[in-house]
Amino acid sequence: MLIFDQLKKDDPQLRFLAVMVFGGMVVLLAGLWWVQVVSAGYYQDKLETQSLRSVRIPAVRGKILDRDGRPLAENRPSYNINLYLEDLSAKFQAAYATALTQTRKGLAFQMAAQEKRLNRELTKQEKKQFAVTLKIKNDLQEQTHYEVSSNIVADVGARLEQNIPLAQKDFQRHYDKARAIPLPVLANLNSTQVARFEEQSIHTPGMDMDIQSLRYYPNNTTAAHLLGYLARNNDSSEGEPAEYNYRMDDYTGLTGIEKLLDKELRGTAGAKSVLVNNLGYRQRETVWSPAEPGQNVVLTIDLDIQKASEVALQEAQANARGAVVVMDARNGDVLAMASNPTYDPNFFAERHDPATSAKMWEYLNDKNLRPQWNRAMQENYAPGSIFKIVVGLAALEQGLNPEETFHSLGYFPMPGRKPIGDTAGAGDFNFSRALAKSSNPYFITQALKPGMLPKIISVGQRLHLGERTGLLPRQETPGHFPSLNDVAASSWRDGDTANFSIGQGPIVVTPLQMAVMIAAVANGGKVFQPRLLTRIEPYGATEAAQSFPEGQLRDTLGVSARSLRIVREAMLADVESPEGTGHAAAIPGWRIAGKTGTAEVERNGKKDRSAKNTWFVSFAPVENPRYVVVATVEGGASGGLTCAPIAHKVYLAIQQREQQRDKKAPKPETLAQMR
Amino acid sequence: MIFPGINNQRQPRIDLVQLGAVLVLMLISIAFVYSATMSNDSTSGLAWYRQSYFRQMVWFTLGLGAAGVVCVIDYHALSRWAFVGYWVAILFLVAVLIPHVGSMRYGARRWVDLGGFQFQPSEFAKLAFIMAQAHFLSRPVDELRQRRIFWKAIGLMLLPFLLIMKEPDLGSGLVLLPTGLAMLLAAGTPKRYLLQLISIVGILAGLFLADVLYAPPKYRLKMQEYQKSRLLVYFNRNYADYAGPDASEAERKKMREQQFNDSLNVRQALIAAGSGGLTGKGWRNGQQNALGFLPQAGKHNDFIFSVIAEEKGFFGSVIVITLYSVILFTGIRIAGQARDRLGKLLAVGVVTLLFSHVFINIGMNIRIMPVTGVPLPLLSYGGSSVLGSLIAIGMLQNVHIYRKAY
Repeated sequence: MLIFDQLKKDDPQLRFLAVMVFGGMVVLLAGLWWVQVVSAGYYQDKLETQSLRSVRIPAVRGKILDRDGRPLAENRPSYNINLYLEDLSAKFQAAYATALTQTRKGLAFQMAAQEKRLNRELTKQEKKQFAVTLKIKNDLQEQTHYEVSSNIVADVGARLEQNIPLAQKDFQRHYDKARAIPLPVLANLNSTQVARFEEQSIHTPGMDMDIQSLRYYPNNTTAAHLLGYLARNNDSSEGEPAEYNYRMDDYTGLTGIEKLLDKELRGTAGAKSVLVNNLGYRQRETVWSPAEPGQNVVLTIDLDIQKASEVALQEAQANARGAVVVMDARNGDVLAMASNPTYDPNFFAERHDPATSAKMWEYLNDKNLRPQWNRAMQENYAPGSIFKIVVGLAALEQGLNPEETFHSLGYFPMPGRKPIGDTAGAGDFNFSRALAKSSNPYFITQALKPGMLPKIISVGQRLHLGERTGLLPRQETPGHFPSLNDVAASSWRDGDTANFSIGQGPIVVTPLQMAVMIAAVANGGKVFQPRLLTRIEPYGATEAAQSFPEGQLRDTLGVSARSLRIVREAMLADVESPEGTGHAAAIPGWRIAGKTGTAEVERNGKKDRSAKNTWFVSFAPVENPRYVVVATVEGGASGGLTCAPIAHKVYLAIQQREQQRDKKAPKPETLAQMR
Repeated sequence: MIFPGINNQRQPRIDLVQLGAVLVLMLISIAFVYSATMSNDSTSGLAWYRQSYFRQMVWFTLGLGAAGVVCVIDYHALSRWAFVGYWVAILFLVAVLIPHVGSMRYGARRWVDLGGFQFQPSEFAKLAFIMAQAHFLSRPVDELRQRRIFWKAIGLMLLPFLLIMKEPDLGSGLVLLPTGLAMLLAAGTPKRYLLQLISIVGILAGLFLADVLYAPPKYRLKMQEYQKSRLLVYFNRNYADYAGPDASEAERKKMREQQFNDSLNVRQALIAAGSGGLTGKGWRNGQQNALGFLPQAGKHNDFIFSVIAEEKGFFGSVIVITLYSVILFTGIRIAGQARDRLGKLLAVGVVTLLFSHVFINIGMNIRIMPVTGVPLPLLSYGGSSVLGSLIAIGMLQNVHIYRKAY
């Protein structure tokens, strides 16, 4: 063979040469083998790190729908204009070349002027200060890159008739850190701007429009507290690789359903890799895992009833602070849950100028209004007279004859203390009249009978007063309800029992708890676990929807049907009889059973009229109870004057909604225009 | 004039195996010069007749013509003109150093402008040196025992070496040393002279490197900044150590950046070759090439091998190495069959020259040699290199044609 023939030559010099050449070639081959075969993986990794940039693509967030599939939270396209730096690189180079020539000329001119002034040729050292240094070059590059970009941006801004700011600092930061991805220039264009851009600027070099999905609450403030809101958050979800070069804007739920079901709504982020050249400019993109949209969440809320409840609440008084809960008495479904004051969750998904933002945050953090507070679950309210329903049930169970009359003095004398006042006035009361007129002395007298207090506590405990329902995280207070130990303690006096029996003192509740209570009275004693979620529908029909069963029993009331019937009849009288305190709630067509309440609130040892809790709790139709409406307003005039009219409006809306359903031609917008 | 064809009818006049290897390398060259330049936005838009791959074809044609001319004239006749050629080459090497004659590119004066086209005298000086050295050493072996003759031969080598180093072109200068030494050895110069010479050169080189790499700043030899940085990169030295003891943090940082940039080409060439893996990414599909990570100015000439290694992988590298081996070993065979010592020395010179180029260039791609700017014969783009390489092959074939008649 050719090679070995040469290696075996009998000419020693040529043999030496052949050995050297052979050795050299073997060294090269060994080196190449080491680099290209043994270390190939290492160098391929290096190649990827220097030429591939991974970008996280957030998934489209799932929708939140009402019980009929109408959107409460959805996504709308947001049109954004981006600057693609790689398309500008030729312009950058040209502008830089021009600027460099000019700078050179300028410096040469200065040098010539200096020489003329000194009338001699400058020394090498002196000439150095007129040289184009690396720093000058770098500055020139930054300057020309920025100028080229800002000219194009200003040009597009002029065509869109909107001043688009592009700060040099921001531009430089993007250029240094994120050159491979487009620079967002203008977000959220309106439709005129979209049309203008499409028409005039589509061929502007380096400019292009992209569409991103933006969270949108089509009904603005409706159900704001329930839905919650989002905050920008680019963190990876569990099980997602955390190593990305860049991340596109993503959002995470901070409160409400958006928070509770964030994982389901958020979907699975996708990823793409961007191939960049040696200057870091984008060459092409490969999506290696597409984003998987989030799941849709269907609530028990009825959009029309929700809207009607909110409107009714807002109309109760100026800056009304309060809540309305509408519940299905048959299964505990929450049909509406309104809290006022409220806010527009769209605010959190959009970008704002600092002034608007500051104003909004000032409102959101107002100590008196507390718009972020979900008053239906998050506020501790003294129940006042509506607690007499529980006391009444306990008394009936303990053998109270409902027809037995009781003579009231119009106040209850407390030995050694100030007497407890009464709005029902003096006179003879049977059970029905006492509940309807809310006679304090009647119920205090009942509560002070032996064996009554533990019975009241037992009924309250079966209603799970003083416990959270677990409907939404971080938006619920358990309230407070005394335990048997509390009332057996020596510190517990008769005065406490008296206060407690009229829903004051050591008891606070939430409107939601009251709705559960009224539902139990209405449905014959079933204490439901309130339900807000109907089902979670996966994106695509491949998986079955996750359903949440309706009518989950939490407990039973444990009182006789007779007692319940007597209480229901008394509640009916409260609305039906013209002298009943809740008469303002009555509507034609349905018989409503209700109970008003007005609880004094002591602040700093004094009665605070503005903090008075006014209540109206009710259910309808009495013959076949389906709906529970609970309304509460802080600082209202009284339960009958402030809250019963709210329930009145809500019932009208519910009736209208039922008629609509019967006609099977839902016109969802009609009720929305109630205002 | 003797017509060898008459003497050995059955043997082919030229070495066909070698010629085949040369032609395949030329085809590879055109393909990868095309790949290296057409991926580049700024050059792919040029008209076809201004494209590098087309020009390379033109150079190959011219080079084959020149090689044909060199082939047909008996090397004995050529060698009579050896010293004329040598001194003309020296003249050009001097001329290239004169500011308005030699043109400056990348900080070195290596080109002579000859009315529209530029050529690199050092490429031809190498060949002229081989001719002259072969002619000088082909005297009777006894004379080579004289020290005077030995030192004359060394002088013959040092003159072009120093002139090329002055340009400066470290790589082209350095390849003269192994070439000259191999020819001295093949000529039968006493071994002890050569050993003395090698130890002297070795010691000098050692001192030189030690000085550049380790000596305190004020004792360091003055070198061109880029040559120094290439050595520092090769020996993996920390630049910041060269900033001086009272350098500020900013200066040190600048030195580190400088180091990063200087080592960039080597690093990118390594990534290109390494990421090519066993089979490569396919012709024109090299990312390092297409995305511009390989040095833009050098990827179709000095760094052409990294394009081949990336796009054709280890298999491609083996093919290239094999083709060079065929040329080199047929060259050694030609040297063995040469009619006389002149022919043998010519062949040894050419083989060593080609081998040095191949070893330094490919070695640079896998970081066993410093980056010195030596073209890869027949593969690298460039008129002077192509012409020089093909004339060298022509000389080999010449020795083959006028070989001993067995």
